[in-house]
Amino acid sequence: MAYEQVKVKTPFILRLLPVLSIIAFFGTWQLIVDWEIVPSTMLASPSQVFQLFLVKWTEVNPDGALLSQHIWTSVQEAFAGYLLALLVGIPLGLAMGWFVVVEGLSRPIFEMIRPIPPVAWIPLVIFWFGIGISGKIFIIWIGGIVPCVINSYEGVRMTNPTLIQMARTYGATDWQIFRQICIPSALPMVFGALQIALACCWTNLVAAELLAADRGLGFLITMGRKLALPDMVLLGMIMIGLTGVVIGIIINYFEKKLLAGIRR
Amino acid sequence: MVDIANEIKLQVTERSPLTLAAVLKNRWFLYGASTLTFFWIWDAAAVARIFSSGLPRPHEVALQLWRMLFDPLAGKSLLGHIWASTQRILIGFTIASLVAVPLGLAMALNRYVNAVVKPLFDLLKPMPPLAWISIAILWFGIGETSKVFIIIIGTFVPCLLDAYNGVRLVEPELYDVVRMLGGKRRDEIIQVCFPAAFPAIFAGLQIALSIAWSCVLAAELVSARSGLGFIIILGMNLSRPAMVVGGMVVIALIAWAMSQLVSALERFVCPWKREIDNR
Repeated sequence: MAYEQVKVKTPFILRLLPVLSIIAFFGTWQLIVDWEIVPSTMLASPSQVFQLFLVKWTEVNPDGALLSQHIWTSVQEAFAGYLLALLVGIPLGLAMGWFVVVEGLSRPIFEMIRPIPPVAWIPLVIFWFGIGISGKIFIIWIGGIVPCVINSYEGVRMTNPTLIQMARTYGATDWQIFRQICIPSALPMVFGALQIALACCWTNLVAAELLAADRGLGFLITMGRKLALPDMVLLGMIMIGLTGVVIGIIINYFEKKLLAGIRR
Repeated sequence: MVDIANEIKLQVTERSPLTLAAVLKNRWFLYGASTLTFFWIWDAAAVARIFSSGLPRPHEVALQLWRMLFDPLAGKSLLGHIWASTQRILIGFTIASLVAVPLGLAMALNRYVNAVVKPLFDLLKPMPPLAWISIAILWFGIGETSKVFIIIIGTFVPCLLDAYNGVRLVEPELYDVVRMLGGKRRDEIIQVCFPAAFPAIFAGLQIALSIAWSCVLAAELVSARSGLGFIIILGMNLSRPAMVVGGMVVIALIAWAMSQLVSALERFVCPWKREIDNR
């Protein structure tokens, strides 16, 4: 290695503080439940949540499905919406960035639909698709498509104009410039959209499952509230957070692999 | 001639002859055509009953909105419902930004604060704000408090994160200049850090605003007696699609207007932000 790694020594207290802060957080949480400072109908302690977590792998009651089934249903819905958003959003954004006609035709519609939060679509979607899986996928799709379009559009727009001018000088057609210059130079932005869109989709999943559902992590939370079981609500929240993090790590891994050959 | 950093762009205004092809490729012509086509397809789909009775015709929506402006719905006219939602957002948004932005700045400037707060923040960050609705209802009931609480939770994350990253991504050269001119730590923070982090903070506020709209609607869908989310859920329960779509149109308009307001505020508060126009 040409460079020597410089090690900056962090003071001991700085390494200790994060651990202490986590311990203090969970400790306080456990104690305010154990000493019944807040009633047990409002908050469950971390140990209770963990217990429920272990039990839920084998026990279907009271919400009618195993934890693994909830996770699998949610992941399926989120991924269907996510992939559809990528499939439609990225080509649309790329084309909007380069072709004046595509931009002119799709931009006003996009700008009209964009400010509506995906949650607001729920009642209309129930009218249209009923309460099945297609409605949920639609809501997740609506949420995921916006960052895809914006990022790929910006990516094409940020192409170095010198490259385009050079290609023009050499007599490249519009389509050739789009394919061989604009798309490759937009790729880092497009890959950035993968993470953002995933986060959007995962958030909207909860919204989608707010409308009638009989399985899924969002449903687990809603069920916990209806049965006044705070440990179930918290378990659902934690599992959504955890699953989101795991999927994020996987996407990040693929992003690194795909971007390995691209010079930033 | 526009000069951005080390790139120089020449702007050439061409006056080409007015031909059919030129008109067809004109941006404004295309915008108009696209808007018209959108409404025409919407109307055609509604008349053809593609979604049976689930899609109202555009003029029915306009009529419904006009009626709601004057006839009170659950004790409030349309303006009252708009104000109910806006009020919740303003309260939650103000509280969250007043706490989160200073906290984010403190985290970026002081590593002890960072060491204490960052792990907790990382722990709570991946949970979508909408997932908090149920626990908020268990804690605060179905009144105003739980709605404001969800908005605070949702807007807290982007406010804090962008303030934090805004300070951390300040160009080191700017610090060097202040140090070279004999500035102290205090000068570094006030003269460099804050102004340089402002655009990032405003970007965070923009994101927070759109999340706040999602949150307030979700909360109102679950339980409310007023607000725009209440209008669309009432429209659903009464099976009146015109009311649902009308509510969505109003939400889009208000959300758009609020984000324009934040942009205007940003231009006013930090005029030094470089506008990169890559047209």
